[in-house]
Amino acid sequence: MKQEPQKVITKKGERFIIPIGPQHPALKEPGHFEFAVDGETVTDATVRLGYVHRGIEKGVESRNWVQNLYMLERICGICSHTHAMTYCLGVEKLAAVEVPERAQVIRLIMAELERIHSHMLWLGVAAHEAGFDTLFMYTWRDRETVMDLLELLSGNRVNYSANLLGGVKFDISPEQADKIRQGLAFLAERNTHYLDVVMNDMLLLGRIRGVGVMTREQAEKLGAIGPTARASGVARDVRLDAPYGAYRTFKPKLILETAGDLEARFIVRLREIADSCRLINEALDNLPSGDLTVRMPRRIKEGETISRVEAPRGEAFYFIKSNGSDIPERIKVRTPTICNMGSVLALAKGHQLADMPMILVGIDPCFSCNDRMITLRRSDGEAETWSWGQLREYGIKAYQR
Amino acid sequence: MELGPVARVWHQGVPEMNPIVALLIFPGGLFVLTLGLAYEWVDRKLLARAQNRVGPRWFQPLADVFKLLAKEEVIPNDVNPLLFVGLPIAALAGALTAALYVPIFGLAPAYSFEGDLIVTVYLLSLLTLCMGLAGANTLNRFALVGATRTLTQLFSYEAPFMLALLAPAFVAQTWQISAINSYASTHWLIVTQPIGFLVALIGLMGKLELPPFDAPEAETEIVAGAMTEYSGRGLALFRLGKGVEMVVGLTLVAAFYLGGIGGPLDFLLKTGALLIAIVIIQALMTRLRIEQTVGLWWRWGALLVLVQLLLYILWEVVTA
Amino acid sequence: MKLGAMINDIFESIFKHPVTEHYPFERKETPSQFRGQLQWNRENCTGCGLCAKDCPANAIEVIVLDRKAKQFVFHYNVDHCLFCAQCVHSCRQGCLSMQPQLWELAALSRDGYQLYYGNENDIQTYLASQTAAEPAATPRPAVQPVALD
Ligand code: SF4
Ligand code: SF4
Repeated sequence: MKQEPQKVITKKGERFIIPIGPQHPALKEPGHFEFAVDGETVTDATVRLGYVHRGIEKGVESRNWVQNLYMLERICGICSHTHAMTYCLGVEKLAAVEVPERAQVIRLIMAELERIHSHMLWLGVAAHEAGFDTLFMYTWRDRETVMDLLELLSGNRVNYSANLLGGVKFDISPEQADKIRQGLAFLAERNTHYLDVVMNDMLLLGRIRGVGVMTREQAEKLGAIGPTARASGVARDVRLDAPYGAYRTFKPKLILETAGDLEARFIVRLREIADSCRLINEALDNLPSGDLTVRMPRRIKEGETISRVEAPRGEAFYFIKSNGSDIPERIKVRTPTICNMGSVLALAKGHQLADMPMILVGIDPCFSCNDRMITLRRSDGEAETWSWGQLREYGIKAYQR
Repeated sequence: MELGPVARVWHQGVPEMNPIVALLIFPGGLFVLTLGLAYEWVDRKLLARAQNRVGPRWFQPLADVFKLLAKEEVIPNDVNPLLFVGLPIAALAGALTAALYVPIFGLAPAYSFEGDLIVTVYLLSLLTLCMGLAGANTLNRFALVGATRTLTQLFSYEAPFMLALLAPAFVAQTWQISAINSYASTHWLIVTQPIGFLVALIGLMGKLELPPFDAPEAETEIVAGAMTEYSGRGLALFRLGKGVEMVVGLTLVAAFYLGGIGGPLDFLLKTGALLIAIVIIQALMTRLRIEQTVGLWWRWGALLVLVQLLLYILWEVVTA
Repeated sequence: MKLGAMINDIFESIFKHPVTEHYPFERKETPSQFRGQLQWNRENCTGCGLCAKDCPANAIEVIVLDRKAKQFVFHYNVDHCLFCAQCVHSCRQGCLSMQPQLWELAALSRDGYQLYYGNENDIQTYLASQTAAEPAATPRPAVQPVALD
């Protein structure tokens, strides 16, 4: 088959563009980044999201309040408990239901275990992006400990489904508490070791120290949240700023670093693991007695509310509106990654191409939860919407070509 | 040249072998390929164990090659097909030819002449060069960046690596590999030239693009680097070439710095020890950015070897 | 600043067994709260259908043949189930439980995933009535895999 030589395949205008994604070994989820490079130095960066938009917000409008718990839990595989908890907190607020204390503390324990698991996962991914596979393998090996603990408690490894509207599904027995304490002791020990590796390994430091520096001003201007912001010295943590649930009694430590580079983000996350261990131990020691659930009405009173929770990656934000029926009127979700995505593009310029995956991973991106749908309006004002059938037909045609 | 007792017995049998057999099957050709696959397996297995994983089973490298050979080779649009197909062959041929000049498996090299060290070193670079060209031949953006990195890296480690191999040649006062080998069997040069040994070993890792020098094929940045467009046979040949190069490189370093290679047992022990050292370095290090690699080689590698050479020359002058 | 800060881990591991589990040759025991395949106990069931209503995956169908005589058929789609245990908690009579041992549910076809719990006769009656009423009817609209032809 003879084809016209494609002369401009490598160029766009005068620039040499390296595409990362939508399918690329550095990304475990689809997103599309275009880095314009001059030699090895990045001069410009753009992002295109939306490859895994699943229409969850629309989906929840046709399911009842209970079913939506599981729908929303599936927004993210890593912080599934956070999403379910944010939703529950909001709905419980709307229904004016007070969840028993024991249930609140169990929610906190799950949330902190999840934070440990998420941060350890991130540590491995970041090490892999840096090309330090040994650290990657070891962190993921040790992460199994916390996954097992989550499974021990909830019965599931990933989407724990720990929450019910109005409480939690399971109790923590003293034997389980002991197992958790043991696991946490091991994790805390390993965590100290990894902190030592990250802060002292010469070659790893060569890749992370002074790379991707985001100053405090930048972080505030770009609206960064979560560990990304805290690594730049922005004191922002919903667990402390607007305590919810059991966080009113059990206070986490605010972990701040000022350097704003990748090293600081490593350190912040690792220290947070240590602090989560402390918090869980404290909660286990002071587990209040009492019920696990209260009765929830099937129809939620008319009204609207917002609910905020500190996810491992930053603040998760829900807007929930009820019209008094057993189906929500509108739920709006804003996940942390979308807030931090801007910082990737801002920081990319001037860095080496080799640093790109690192800077991208530095915010701990989660694509499926931040994906948005964009409606394009043509100049004649017509917005085109495709039905499922049309999309399917288009897909079939695209494959036949 | 002097040979170890086992090799001497063995060696007596070799001349009677048909030269074609010697070239294609043993000790050249097929045998080196097998050895390359075996070393690749040891490398992968040990690395896996260092990372607390199980690692591949013994036939995995071979299975990989078969699988690749069975696959369709996709020749992308707008490449020079001749180059696309030819470069992997040239790369493997270069590596296999290099194997003829070194004491593979403790046997005397199949061919030997004054100055074969230089030829071998150049033949070893042929593989890298071919990979760089293969990447530059395509229009794939990852391959282009990979090719640039491959060649940049080639230019950075080549000089120090060469110097590190020439240092033993200086002391042995010959440029013939077999002669250096027999000189080295009475002098453990790792003791007198530790810097040269380190530079040679790490240079070899750079040549093989093993971590931490795997920037040219850093999968999280540029997918497979220069090899991105290769599938099927071409990729299989490049991989075989790398295996052979690993064997040849390890043999050279062991022969020069670890007291020469006198026989098969000697060969297995010494190259095996080097391989373990390489695996540990791989497991411990984070990938260097390409400009860090270049800096490392020119700022440290080249300089240190030169200093060592200088010291040697001074020593010669003083003692003379 | 250290060169090779993980050297101890490496040497430890080389002399240790890899951490990889040799599934399926060795199976780890599942915790008692593990959520496996759903089990229905028909003693207490009232046929209220709350479990089906709350199931996020529409995996349950409670068919009431005769409420007085307690003739129910509990239709459970294993391949739809998310193992969220909502049904277990929704059921006020405690009829439902998840079996921690039954978790190796993967299969090559979807055929075995339609489970009907209940009295043998009831199931037969129900299935017969289903086929008589609508020969090619699927019990509920499921997203069909898209055929690209
Ligand atoms: S476990 Fe969840 S998905 Fe499965 S049947 Fe029960 S409610 Fe439905
Ligand atoms: S909720 Fe319980 S009692 Fe009601 S139909 Fe389901 S299993 Fe039967």
